[in-house]
Amino acid sequence: MKIVDIALKDLVRSTRSLFLIGMAFAAPLLLTGLIYLAFGSIASGNLSLPDITLGVVNADALPADAPLDASFGESIRSMFFDESVRSWITASDYPDEAAARAAVDAQEIGVAVIIPAAFTEDYLAGKKDTVITILQDPTLSIGPTVVRDMVTSLLDGIAGGGIAFNVLNERLAANGQMLDPASIPSFFERYAAWYTDFQRAMFHSPEKAALVVTSPAAESEMSDPVRSMMGMMMSGQLIFFSFFTGAYAMMSILQESEEGTLARLFTTPTDRTTILAGKFLAVLFTVIIQGVVLLVAGHYLFGINWGEPGSLTLSLLGQMFASVGLAVLLVSFVQNSKQGGLVFGGALTMLGMISGLFTANIEIKAFDLMGNFTPQGWVLKAWKLSLAGSPANELVAPFLVLATMGVVMFAIGAVMFRRRFA
Amino acid sequence: MPFAIEVKNLKKSFGDLQAVQDASFNAEAGEVLSLLGPNGAGKSTTISMLSGLLAPTGGDASIMGHSITKEPEAAKSSLGVVPQDIALYPDLSARENLVFWGKMYGLRGAALKQRVDEVLEIIGLTDRQKDHIGKFSGGMKRRVNIGAALLHKPDVIIMDEPTVGIDPQSRRHILDNVKALNRQGMTVLYTTHYMEEAAELSDHIAIMDRGKVIAYGAHDQLIKMVGEETRIDLTLNTDGEKVLAAWKATQGVSQINSLDGKVTVLVDDSNRVLPHLFEEASKAGARITSVEIQEPNLETVFLHLTGRALRD
Repeated sequence: MKIVDIALKDLVRSTRSLFLIGMAFAAPLLLTGLIYLAFGSIASGNLSLPDITLGVVNADALPADAPLDASFGESIRSMFFDESVRSWITASDYPDEAAARAAVDAQEIGVAVIIPAAFTEDYLAGKKDTVITILQDPTLSIGPTVVRDMVTSLLDGIAGGGIAFNVLNERLAANGQMLDPASIPSFFERYAAWYTDFQRAMFHSPEKAALVVTSPAAESEMSDPVRSMMGMMMSGQLIFFSFFTGAYAMMSILQESEEGTLARLFTTPTDRTTILAGKFLAVLFTVIIQGVVLLVAGHYLFGINWGEPGSLTLSLLGQMFASVGLAVLLVSFVQNSKQGGLVFGGALTMLGMISGLFTANIEIKAFDLMGNFTPQGWVLKAWKLSLAGSPANELVAPFLVLATMGVVMFAIGAVMFRRRFA
Repeated sequence: MPFAIEVKNLKKSFGDLQAVQDASFNAEAGEVLSLLGPNGAGKSTTISMLSGLLAPTGGDASIMGHSITKEPEAAKSSLGVVPQDIALYPDLSARENLVFWGKMYGLRGAALKQRVDEVLEIIGLTDRQKDHIGKFSGGMKRRVNIGAALLHKPDVIIMDEPTVGIDPQSRRHILDNVKALNRQGMTVLYTTHYMEEAAELSDHIAIMDRGKVIAYGAHDQLIKMVGEETRIDLTLNTDGEKVLAAWKATQGVSQINSLDGKVTVLVDDSNRVLPHLFEEASKAGARITSVEIQEPNLETVFLHLTGRALRD
């Protein structure tokens, strides 16, 4: 019972600490909100990129002798009319560049892609001066950039196909063989299939460029690129501030030591394990409350779908174990609350950075690698899986890693505390 | 009947430093026992061991018959501790503080509520019970600090230099509180380095110096240790080594202590000896610039026992 009394007292004190409330709830919501405001509209409650209105002028045609099923121009055009991008790209055909330019000038469309006549023929002939023109409304930035990236990505693939074709020809010639013209279309077909897989693996497929997450459970919500990005950003904030809150809340033991109340507690008929357990429980409650509040706020404010209930629960519990364990460990090393402020700020920012918390929506291999050695890195893995709609059984492994890390860190910290206050 | 507080050969070392060496003293139920000594004498270390904050290196003590080493929880249950510094939660109200500390002593429900109301009444803060401690004056904080130790109606209360650094009015209030608690039958262990407080409050006094209990007894018993000696404090206009040597040889002088130009002399009869002190000073070419005569008191006892003033 005394454990709960101590925990409740600490919780009441926490609610009266403006700093803790600010860092636990206001800061993560504020930072995520700023990012949200940069990309979406909070007033309308419609969290999405502004629709890209696109005009396509495809003057290209498939040369009679081309070893292809369709012209490159048609491939580019069909990408913008594809089902997977229809929710955020509205594409229309225009007969010529003048009509497309007039539509851009009149702001009927934001971007126009002009594919010149004989683009496929010139490309296959090795001509370098045939270019695709992109016209854009000068007041727009994100939409034209996305369209340009999509076209570039596809052209990269086409270029790669050409290189692969030439290499194949040279290898065959070196061996005194010739490529059977009838097999060329199937070569390009196989190459296209490989290239699509390759792009998916590299997160540069047209689908990925549109930030479509193809998990069935989350497909409808997460197909919105901004919502997906907000989920990643918010999870980074959630993790960083959860660890910070845990450490700061645990620091109350140092503050009590400085205020003399810890010594006074030791003079009461309350054993030291009970006192430590009470303080630990308060930190646990604080981190859980913070996590739940931020998850709910993230869902309703930014439209984030955190994943299936089981996955979400495992992620949150794993985060709780790890943040409390690290809090106990860190606090056991510092001598006073002033030192604690500096150590926590430095250590948690450093760990957060190398775990990729501040770049959660970008794949950086170095951070992925380093994240394997930090609790924050594993929490991020868990949230990424949950956000991608992974079922709970896929979260078991990260959860177990986090629980183990939490227990080990807690055990080391508890031993150090017992020595200090023996 | 067992003693309320019984201390037997208590020891505490911090590395090579022996903070408390074989301290022994007792307090009967219902009495006020003062631990008197200068800063660093080992008073706080002794009560830290009695209140369960520090584990003794050797020896033992008991509170209401419960050994502090073998039955620490039972010993603590019989004990209320008033720390030297305010040990309360500044962001909780006076009532919230008292409720929390009451719970730590095992009080619950209606009994806790009733006792908190009573203690608020005792410390005179019923009308300020909802205010945060952080907004209180120093004196009000002190009162809550004492109140938190009274919630479980302890048999023994330990007060560690509760009057350090406070104004005379608050000091008077605390001393009156101690007497009132004692009248209710509470045994009080009071540490101080003010001999006036020890003299006013105590039934028995244990004088500590350099980790040892150097004297123990009732106030009058301790005074008798120095006989009828009177203390004379003098100031010279020179360092006066010759004068001190001459004074030491003067009949009726039992002890001389000199520090920073101030000389303390213990004599058997000040009326008879004082003229000789002036005469010897004059012979040596020194001049006495101030004289203060004090009847025997605890300060004199400490000086007699250690050769140093209590304030040194």
